[in-house]
Amino acid sequence: MKKKILVANRGEIAIRLTRAIQELGFEAVAVYETPDEMSRHIRIADEAILLGDGPRCDYLNIEKIIRAAKKSGACAIHPGYGFLAENPFFAKACESNGIIFIGPTADIILNLGNKVIARNIMAEAGIPMVPGTQNLKQGKGGVAEALDFAAKYGYPIMLKATSGGGGRGIRRIETDVEMKEMIPVARAEALAAFNDDSVFLEKVVVNPKHVEVQILADSHGHTVHLGTRDCSIQRRNQKLIEIAPSMIKNRPLLDEICDTAVKAAKAANYLNAGTVEFLVDKDQNYYFMEINTRVQVEHTVTEMITGIDIVRNQINIAFGKPLSFAQEDVQIRGHAIEVRINAEDPKNDFMPEGGKKVSVYRSTGGFGVRLDGFVYQGYVIPEVYDSLLVKLTVHGFSWEETVGRLKRCLHNFAIRGPKTTIPFYVNIANEKDFVSGDFDTSYIETHPHIFHYDEDASEVGKLARFISQIHYSGENPFAK
Amino acid sequence: MTRIIQGSPVKDIVNTLRQAGGYYITNTARDQSQSDFKNRILLHTDLLAAEERDKAGYFSLEITGGASIHVDILRKQVDPFLKLKKLREKMPNTMFQTLCRGVNLFGYRPYPQNVIRFTVREFAKYVDVWRTFDFLNHIPNMYAVFEEVGTAGKLNEPCICFSTGVEHSNEYYVAKAGEIIDVTGRDITLCIKNHGGLGTPKRIGELVRALKQKYADVPIHYHGHNTDGNDVGRIVEAVRNGASIVDAGDSSFSGFYGPPPVLTVVQTLKEYGYDAVGLDEHAVIATSEVVRDQRKYYDQFESQIKGFQPTVQIHKLPGGAMGSSLEQAAKGGFLDRMPDILHKELPRVQKELGNYWSVTPGSQILWTTAVANVLGGERYGTPSGDLRNLLLGKYGPFPFYRPEEWIYQKVLGDDWQEVLEKEGGVDAIADMDLAHERYALAELLGVEPTDEQLVLYLQHPNDAVEFFKFSEKYGQVYVLTPSIFFRQGGYAVGEKLAFRDHHGKEHMIEVGPSPVNDAGETSVYFNVDHHPSIFNFKAKTAVGKQGEAAILSKEEILDLAKAGDVRSPFSGKIVEITVAEGQEVLIGDRVAIMEAMKMQTPILAEMDGIVTTINAKKGDSLKPGGKILKIDPNE
Repeated sequence: MKKKILVANRGEIAIRLTRAIQELGFEAVAVYETPDEMSRHIRIADEAILLGDGPRCDYLNIEKIIRAAKKSGACAIHPGYGFLAENPFFAKACESNGIIFIGPTADIILNLGNKVIARNIMAEAGIPMVPGTQNLKQGKGGVAEALDFAAKYGYPIMLKATSGGGGRGIRRIETDVEMKEMIPVARAEALAAFNDDSVFLEKVVVNPKHVEVQILADSHGHTVHLGTRDCSIQRRNQKLIEIAPSMIKNRPLLDEICDTAVKAAKAANYLNAGTVEFLVDKDQNYYFMEINTRVQVEHTVTEMITGIDIVRNQINIAFGKPLSFAQEDVQIRGHAIEVRINAEDPKNDFMPEGGKKVSVYRSTGGFGVRLDGFVYQGYVIPEVYDSLLVKLTVHGFSWEETVGRLKRCLHNFAIRGPKTTIPFYVNIANEKDFVSGDFDTSYIETHPHIFHYDEDASEVGKLARFISQIHYSGENPFAK
Repeated sequence: MTRIIQGSPVKDIVNTLRQAGGYYITNTARDQSQSDFKNRILLHTDLLAAEERDKAGYFSLEITGGASIHVDILRKQVDPFLKLKKLREKMPNTMFQTLCRGVNLFGYRPYPQNVIRFTVREFAKYVDVWRTFDFLNHIPNMYAVFEEVGTAGKLNEPCICFSTGVEHSNEYYVAKAGEIIDVTGRDITLCIKNHGGLGTPKRIGELVRALKQKYADVPIHYHGHNTDGNDVGRIVEAVRNGASIVDAGDSSFSGFYGPPPVLTVVQTLKEYGYDAVGLDEHAVIATSEVVRDQRKYYDQFESQIKGFQPTVQIHKLPGGAMGSSLEQAAKGGFLDRMPDILHKELPRVQKELGNYWSVTPGSQILWTTAVANVLGGERYGTPSGDLRNLLLGKYGPFPFYRPEEWIYQKVLGDDWQEVLEKEGGVDAIADMDLAHERYALAELLGVEPTDEQLVLYLQHPNDAVEFFKFSEKYGQVYVLTPSIFFRQGGYAVGEKLAFRDHHGKEHMIEVGPSPVNDAGETSVYFNVDHHPSIFNFKAKTAVGKQGEAAILSKEEILDLAKAGDVRSPFSGKIVEITVAEGQEVLIGDRVAIMEAMKMQTPILAEMDGIVTTINAKKGDSLKPGGKILKIDPNE
């Protein structure tokens, strides 16, 4: 009988994981909540287990997932990203139930998930970091500490929840008054969101580039990097477009950042796949931000330019196998761009379009194109989950070729029903700074015209709508 | 033989005409469409004809202006500017000509000066020849257009509107021409605008001769209609007496009220020793061959009454209004009263109202008044707002004589002298705040409008906005063939609809089934470029919309109104409801404004009371007897 691996996730990443699992000769066990019963990840898996009515709480329920793994006889669990992916208790629960957790150990997740501990590890290893504080003391002492830090480094300063992440629990402070006001607010929020009210400060690097390095580390002492990614195009710290490798022209700098990332991973005794995030400022100073202990949404761009299947390697590492390649075997070829096609209305502050039926779904294909999606024509987007429909990743030999391919693919798409981010990406793909590879984290706010576009129906889609009206009404008002 | 090419300086054009050894032809495709096909010939068809028409070597192609701007956005769903741009791509050589109603532009009422100038400036980018007229031959009504056309470097073609009768003498028209030339100078083409196709060949010949005697260096452009079947005769006499340009149309689309066929004109005049300068007869024939099989799709727009109408010499309706007048008679169920209206009442009304020229907007006033006089029983009993304005002199002074006092009294009331004193005369219409209008349009559209969009909005505010929204939703539908665009009763399952979109891309829609589910919703299945698409439609609402009712007689409607139940007295559209629910009204107060045949008529309260329910809203089309609102008597 084939061994089974349980996929503790939903949506596109569940399908991505299932593919790697099946390619390795395992059977994939899907889990789902009732609102997801029409989801395609269930059909693609070899078996599927209903966790409960959810929403979300069952995907987050460690006990139920462990029980599902045991029931199905799965020997390992892949958590994907989000949900339980960076929950040390989940990793721990797997370990104590004799199930392989495909990811780092619980200790690593715990240490790197706590930003202050992570900073201490990195400081010890001599990794460059944005000036910052330890956890602020409770009460007035903490406020005094904060004001001292501000006096020394100047505003703006980021006030961060120690247990936050993924863009949550961060706020930018501009003045002393604001600082005094916001520390208690941030604490209360952090307590509610992460059950931990610790907060700390970091100097703000103004309009940096967001550069990150993909790491793979096996249990035999090998740690390699798979080059850089640039995730600068963000809105409120949520990534929209990711590219690989970074467009920074200074190659020695990029090499140095990659080496630093490996050093950081080693300092943390890192295991499995992880991402070391850096900020790079205008003067090409780089600062360590954090290590993400999961497979990331944007891992596809790295896979495209290296040809290395990250999820496959994650599974092999978790099963104790050594990496099948060394650092010098890793070669970067060309450029890759990934866009997250979401059911959102960018013009309306990216309001999710959940609850709508995808009445037409037509995607793209051809050379250098990869799709990671899970929607189909007729699918009704559940309102209770995130709005990601499909990730489009394009690969090209040159940057110019890659951008051209991105544009072509975006035009190939026809999605009717929900509004999507496609026309917004089309504008970006045609915008001159993006085309010339010149962008940082201020891109969205400094290019407001990318929000100006016609509604997403294609010309033929509009005409077909018109013809359907004439057809349906029978009596043609234009012929009278 | 010199063909005149688009883009030539005005001076060169006029000099070429002065020295030409023959005559030129304008293809009046727009007027043909308006007179014989209710203005509904699609851009698609004009684009099919474009290449051969450009080869044909016309003086100009009259393709925009008149009522076409409104019909373009209202019924054909095409941007009148885009139409000119698309045609220009395929017709690099031929001058484009418009028909402009002076202060009334392409509409039915005078516009503010700054709107006139802005509109002319925008259209002059694409229009080379500006045929401008005023239905009272009141020359100051055309000054602003003359000036802007001159500034844009385009050719002014001022008109003298032509009619028949004792007042319509050569002396009168030569004097009018003098009035025009005093303003424009002599580098123009002067149009004899015979919109009714009136007079005999002899009469037209005499007029041309008289004008040429006085103004030998001003080229004359004769414009006529073939309503009586004799326009070729008038054209021949016009040319023999010195006209430089005449109007004709493509034979495959020739009808009864528009221009006569180009080829007939050319063949006839050749016999008399006159050649059509620069004209390629093969291309003229080829144009008709190319579009001949399109005509069948326009069947439903052809006149209800077939055949020439020699009686036009009596009723004088312009060719451009024949189709719509007959349509109104057919829809209103009074076709049987047409002999009375056309042959007795119209000539009488014309005479009573000053024997001015029956052309827009004056022709609509004559027609509406004659119809109301015949159907309403009491002559001048239900005067339109536009008739009132005519009597008040809002359009300009009467050219020959004023109507008799009893008409003023009927229309303006017993205190008519006082009203005339106070309100009479041409109003200086205040300029519009264009920045404000632009802002208002931006609000309605959600994006900054283009200048061209603003122009259309200023002409027809509601219809323009609806058209812009339509285009946003349905794309550029001008690309659809008439067989698709005009289809009645839906398409057949399996039918393949092919078209090339605005961007030049080829598409194919295969029609699939349209099943209806239990809830009454219909799903229309199409394969769009081989990919399945579904269009869902909610259940059809029951027949009989709000505000619609059985057709009632005039008496019944008046009885209801006297009881506070205000109904539509005719088939028309609500322009405005001028009262609100709960408002107190007195007998004679205006409660709504309706429009029919482009004429606005106030709807008046027939009793004192309070408005309780409003059934109709702005834009609703009502049949006679359709509910408008209710008035409850004061206790």
